[in-house]
Amino acid sequence: MSATAPIAVCLKWTPARLDGGPLGPDAADDRFAGISPADRAALELALRLADRLGTTVTAITAGPAGAERALRDALAAGAERAVRLDMATDADSRDVAFELAQSLADAAIVLCGDYSLDRGSGSVPAFVAHHRRIAQALGLVDIDVDTATAATVHATRRLDGGRRELLAIPLPCVLSVEGSLATLRRAPLPRALASRSAHIDVVATPPAHHHGAPAIVTAYRPRARVMPAPAGEVVLDRLRRLTDAGTAPSRGETVVLEPPAAAARIVDALREWGYLP
Amino acid sequence: MPETPDVDVIVVGAGPAGACASIELARAGLQVVLLERGPFPGSKNMYGGVVYPRILDELIPNWWDEAPVQRWVTRRSTMVLTPTQALTVDFRSTAWGAPPYNGATAYRPDFDHWLASHAEAAGAQVLCSTTVVGLLRDANGRVVGVRTDRPDGDLRARLVIACDGVNSFVAKEAGLHPPVDAANYTLGVKETLALPKEVIDERFGVRGREGVDIEILGGTGGVNGGGFVYTNLDTIAIGAVLKLPKLAAQKRRPEEIIAGLKAHPAIAPLVEGAELKEYSAHVIPEAGLAMMPKLTGDGLLVAGDAAAMCLAAGIWLEGVNFAMASGMYAGRAAIDAIRAGDVSTAGLAGYERRLSETFVLRDHRKLKRAPHLVLSDRVQHVYPELITSVAERMFRVDNPEPKPGLRRIVTSERKRLGIRRRDLARDGLDGFRSFG
Amino acid sequence: MTHIERDHTWPEISFQDRMDTVRFDVHERAHITVDGRTCEGCSTQACVVACPANLFVPTSDGGIVFNYEQCFECGTCYLVCNEEGAITWTYPDGGHGVVFRRT
Ligand SMILES: Cc1cc2nc3c(=O)[nH]c(=O)nc-3n(C[C@H](O)[C@H](O)[C@H](O)COP(=O)(O)OP(=O)(O)OC[C@H]3O[C@@H](n4cnc5c(N)ncnc54)[C@H](O)[C@@H]3O)c2cc1C
Ligand code: SF4
Ligand code: SF4
Repeated sequence: MSATAPIAVCLKWTPARLDGGPLGPDAADDRFAGISPADRAALELALRLADRLGTTVTAITAGPAGAERALRDALAAGAERAVRLDMATDADSRDVAFELAQSLADAAIVLCGDYSLDRGSGSVPAFVAHHRRIAQALGLVDIDVDTATAATVHATRRLDGGRRELLAIPLPCVLSVEGSLATLRRAPLPRALASRSAHIDVVATPPAHHHGAPAIVTAYRPRARVMPAPAGEVVLDRLRRLTDAGTAPSRGETVVLEPPAAAARIVDALREWGYLP
Repeated sequence: MPETPDVDVIVVGAGPAGACASIELARAGLQVVLLERGPFPGSKNMYGGVVYPRILDELIPNWWDEAPVQRWVTRRSTMVLTPTQALTVDFRSTAWGAPPYNGATAYRPDFDHWLASHAEAAGAQVLCSTTVVGLLRDANGRVVGVRTDRPDGDLRARLVIACDGVNSFVAKEAGLHPPVDAANYTLGVKETLALPKEVIDERFGVRGREGVDIEILGGTGGVNGGGFVYTNLDTIAIGAVLKLPKLAAQKRRPEEIIAGLKAHPAIAPLVEGAELKEYSAHVIPEAGLAMMPKLTGDGLLVAGDAAAMCLAAGIWLEGVNFAMASGMYAGRAAIDAIRAGDVSTAGLAGYERRLSETFVLRDHRKLKRAPHLVLSDRVQHVYPELITSVAERMFRVDNPEPKPGLRRIVTSERKRLGIRRRDLARDGLDGFRSFG
Repeated sequence: MTHIERDHTWPEISFQDRMDTVRFDVHERAHITVDGRTCEGCSTQACVVACPANLFVPTSDGGIVFNYEQCFECGTCYLVCNEEGAITWTYPDGGHGVVFRRT
């Protein structure tokens, strides 16, 4: 990976901002559309890392023409190049990831927000890493890069229960960051003005194809069971029976196992409870 | 070394005034930057609800095919309220339901956004999320640009047009405004209430895209001001316009005054069961000519609410049309001045001339007494009762008493309410001079 | 004087619910600040009644606490304010603050 390989940031354009209050999303209205705080943090981080590594930032989004506003804002903030993959906003994430990976074949680091405004599955970064056969890390709350070698990213990942995990990730890699990581800088006026008419590369994409990505396995959901109506004279009794309220809760079982054995045990348990076929 | 301008004209504020100024300038081939502090044009703007669009005919032919309109106003009512009575003058015109239309209800975040998109299409650079925080001036005090809140945020231009609305810190900084007096301002508050379209059609007696505009005198619970009700497609806008010093003195909160209006027997059946979708507030420059700033400075023009161009005179609450027109004329005057190479106050004289020749200043001059009269204590607190009780006695059947004549009723009601004949005559004359 | 009785034919919503119908993109910088000490000498406390967003809260010792977050940026408070220098009023940074939708 050459030191001048750009840093890419993927911005997911979400048609309506879902924090729209009681009115709900104003459907497909670009005025209320935007990118998530996590995506904004990813952009800021991309700009900082590019500064430190002496390289540039490419902002990319997959979406309709309206999504170019996100790219113009990224150009205003400091991105060098902007690319729009011409796709519908609801395109399959496998297709989005495939096209992203094609366009970002030379990127040293691909940064993404940890979740988009529509709380998608977060599968795009994983698919991108898969297509490029490079490392991926998610849930990052801190990122540093070894400027001397530009070969490794040191990152902190959030785990459950307030714990943190320190990762050393070889470049190139795909990283998803949390929104709290950084606040996007204010775009300077000259750049903001220039960005309104700046050039954006528009890449035509073929219709849906689900390119070479692993098949998506959807989790098995057990069917609802018919249960007998709860017995009891008073409503409270019936409610108690129905909800098990007041009875001793069943405690989970704690087992200590090596990772492969632990994984097998989890799969067994899921099968036993009916979550896996 | 005098710095060279970055662009020809900077327009501050993408409301109706700023958008129309920018449309004119960009169409003339000048380089225009339109700066707006909100995330999109219209995001900071609220009003009662009706745009009077005649001036658009000149700017955007067949605008009615594309403007984001809710309903066409075909029915206009003026209501006078006391706590238990209401007198309504109700006018309908089918002509208003067809092009070129007389009035349209619209949401400002839609309307202003649409209007600014025409400025952009004409070639203006529209930059949102950018607040102007000051003016740049040269050694002679001439305005040469603006400072924004962005990093590296100075922008220079041959001319700045301040269309930044009622608080206009730009025009104030340039020293064009007389000292601010709260008595010249009213606070507008409103509720956007949701109801199914068919229910609105039925309650207001309209069909399809027809809409209703109701202006209300009285009903603001002791605070001088007025009320309004407008119909959108599936919402109703109801609100009050309240004189600021009175509001503070009466100890009635704005939302309580709206609640009072909504509970009035003449209004309640219209809004009952509707769900609050949005609550909003904005200040109105109410005093018209009496509070107007200087409209021109060296390198600076002021238009729209920033110049107190809003016409707020009782049965009229028009600001968007005055803003669009004054913005348009400011744009035209700027084009002339820049082409002639003189953007001094003298070079910009074409602005005030245009305003004086058209409705903008002519209406304001004609109605210069109206805002004061309409918000006066007698008109606000005494005359509504006079009018409604006269109506009540005219319509009441007092058999076996014979019907009294109108003159007798007026005299006895006037006396009952303690109104001096002299005051009534003077107010009547004032009203006739203004509205007649 | 006109006086209107409040008629409770349907419930009025709470003030917080009322404000929750409005969208605000709050910036970390307070665009309006109030010097509560200056307010201690204020005889009208006009802001408390007039602010449509009800952001001025009187304290027991005669002062005012103020929170800028759900502000309409209307200007009423500085217009009615009774004491020179009590309110420092600016617009929020570009792109922040109130965002109207059906107004
Ligand atoms: C309650 C109420 C009811 C009304 N009813 C009606 C009605 O029914 N019909 C009617 O015609 N008129 C009505 N009006 C009046 C009308 O709304 C105004 O007269 C009109 O909006 C003025 O337009 P403008 O372009 O001058 O200002 P505005 O619409 O206020 O636009 C000013 C713009 O400048 C921007 N801005 C301000 N400062 C800065 C800055 N420093 N930097 C960058 N941008 C800035 C603002 O965000 C805004 O977009 C009503 C007003 C109110 C408050
Ligand atoms: S009116 Fe002004 S001085 Fe008085 S309490 Fe309010 S903010 Fe303070
Ligand atoms: S600007 Fe308006 S909403 Fe904001 S604090 Fe002042 S009075 Fe209240």
